[in-house]
Amino acid sequence: MKDILTLGEILQARGVSRRGFLKYCSATASLLALPPALVPQIANALEQARRPSVIWLSFQECTGCTESLTRSSSPTVEGLIFDSISLDYHHTLQAAAGEAAEAARHAAMEENKGNYLVLVDGSIPLGNPGYSTIAGMSNLDMLMETVEGAAAVVAIGSCAAFGGIPGANPNPTGAVSVRDLVKDKPVINVPGCPPIPMVITGVLAQFLTFGQLPELDRHGRPMAFFGQTIHDRCYRRPFYEQGKFAETFDDEGARKGWCLFKLGCKGPITYNACATMKWNDGTSFPIEAGHPCLGCSEPGFWDKGGFYNAVSTGDVGSGKAFAGAAVAGVAMGAAAAAMARARQKKTMKEA
Amino acid sequence: MDLLEFARGPALQVALYIFIAGSLWRVFGVLMLQRKPDHSEARKSGGMGGALKVIYTRAFTAPAFKKATIYPKVLGYALHVGFFAVVFLFIPHVVFFKGLFGVSWPGLPNNVIYFIGVITVGLGIAILIRRLTNPVLKLISNFDDYFSWFVTLLPLVTGLIIPIRFGIRYETLLAIHILSIALLLIWFPFGKLAHTYFVFISRGTTGATLERRGAKT
Amino acid sequence: MSNIDPVSSPIPYTRGNIEPILHEVIHALDRLLETDEPTVIDLASLPFAPGELDQLEEYLGTGELTAELNALGRSRIRETIYPGVWWLEHRNTEGDIVGRYIEITRAPAILMSQDADIGAGRALLGDKLENADPGNDNGADNEPRPN
Repeated sequence: MKDILTLGEILQARGVSRRGFLKYCSATASLLALPPALVPQIANALEQARRPSVIWLSFQECTGCTESLTRSSSPTVEGLIFDSISLDYHHTLQAAAGEAAEAARHAAMEENKGNYLVLVDGSIPLGNPGYSTIAGMSNLDMLMETVEGAAAVVAIGSCAAFGGIPGANPNPTGAVSVRDLVKDKPVINVPGCPPIPMVITGVLAQFLTFGQLPELDRHGRPMAFFGQTIHDRCYRRPFYEQGKFAETFDDEGARKGWCLFKLGCKGPITYNACATMKWNDGTSFPIEAGHPCLGCSEPGFWDKGGFYNAVSTGDVGSGKAFAGAAVAGVAMGAAAAAMARARQKKTMKEA
Repeated sequence: MDLLEFARGPALQVALYIFIAGSLWRVFGVLMLQRKPDHSEARKSGGMGGALKVIYTRAFTAPAFKKATIYPKVLGYALHVGFFAVVFLFIPHVVFFKGLFGVSWPGLPNNVIYFIGVITVGLGIAILIRRLTNPVLKLISNFDDYFSWFVTLLPLVTGLIIPIRFGIRYETLLAIHILSIALLLIWFPFGKLAHTYFVFISRGTTGATLERRGAKT
Repeated sequence: MSNIDPVSSPIPYTRGNIEPILHEVIHALDRLLETDEPTVIDLASLPFAPGELDQLEEYLGTGELTAELNALGRSRIRETIYPGVWWLEHRNTEGDIVGRYIEITRAPAILMSQDADIGAGRALLGDKLENADPGNDNGADNEPRPN
């Protein structure tokens, strides 16, 4: 039988004091990027939240998203959140395999019909169902079957959210995102390659706490974590404004920690929480480590004109095309001049 | 493809092709016109020397007219300086040109550029007001004059809005900015903005011709 | 700080991100004095250059009062050298930082004993006293024997 304890009851049973619970709620508020003033509300909501069943489907993915998530080791806030969900199906983390695993998935779907969460990582190939199958079932079929009774779907990682690297040019498998296929259920995108682990658990925590989906932006990403660009939150922003840029890797500017705009940083057009939440428990993030942002939480970032071409470099076409335009121009000019000269000759003759 | 990808990609590409083709068309169209043969004997060999001299000296008003024209003169020069500074010394622009031409040069801090930009917009409005209020100018101004003013100011204004934001998404503002530049590039060779090329051609021709006749230039 | 030592680097500090926070603290102190309204600044949501967070902590310093909380891991709550300005650092049982706040208040809320805990403690004490009757000793070791 599934647990019907609330999160509050679970924590109490573990001997967690009310102070500890409040500390947990503050950390959750911080995680959700919510103002500290909301902590009492969060405490109330969490006390009464029940453990949802979660089914995790892995499709065309590199397992980086699962790796990212499991870097948050228990028992941390993230761990506690995960303790409070019932992860009923996950290829990499589950003990069961084969028929038993599929049976577990179906059982979870039945018992929690209408209430379970489906988490998806990896893109879904449409080119040929045989490109990616699990237990003989194509990704497409498994996705559509599993989401039927789901309360909501969370597409974790850029592959599930936007197609990711399988979907990059030339997209040989016909990879598509979850949103391309699931139209009748709410789908939250948590992109990133991989997403920040705290963001993944934060989205789950938000669902747990408020029982509803967070506010989403135009790409279906939670505004709490994807509402600001890296550029707007980057600690190197003062250098951008002062015109201090690193020109090459490891030059003087790079060593001084100057802005990486000229090295291709996609910070200005990338929405994610890397600049504030950072990675590895707040240790650092790519720009701080000296590498320009790749823009990995944006759709089609693999094909956005090269990681080391600055944002303001346009995709202006080939030299050949320009040469062609030049030739055309000269030709037209010559033609116009010829006509004008003919006219001139005529008038001069008449003069 | 979203608006920004369209602006940075196809829109800018087509605009650049039209800009190049159009500019060469107009310049060659003029350069290859037949000139009336001058049968008089040359007093001085009129050539590049005379051309260059007049290109330079025409930048300065003849003393008789100085007082009357000082205001539009200063306004015009300041506008040009402002535009050049903003276009060529703003570092994201420098990077753009590097992508296009392979060469780069140092720039100015962003805040300095924003300051210059705002002043230039003010100057642009001042010059429009002059065109509208001066009776002679008002009489002779046509669509070309006003439209050229518009397509030149528009990128400056849309560019300045980007750091201010007004709550609009950065990508949208950037796309609008790039589209306004595409518009400028397309109009450039065909309207008054083509003075960029012709000012040198006409002054140079005048200089060469006058020098050949021995006139003081 | 997390269990991983940040690699020390020759990157010079920028003060750009610290000053606005200090200004916010001043405004919060004004508010506290005028209307008794507390303020909490969540440091996780603010950008810091490498070393800036430490700089901020150093700047605010340590005042008279430091408290250690052991609940779901260790937390340190201390008043800075500016009374009313508190620095809170929450860690989990692994020692990782899970929250860092500056609270401008008379006393951070987490220091207060909570109703639920008080109720549970009172019940426990009541039980222990009951069971401490001479004929009914359940072997509770540290019970003071009633005189």
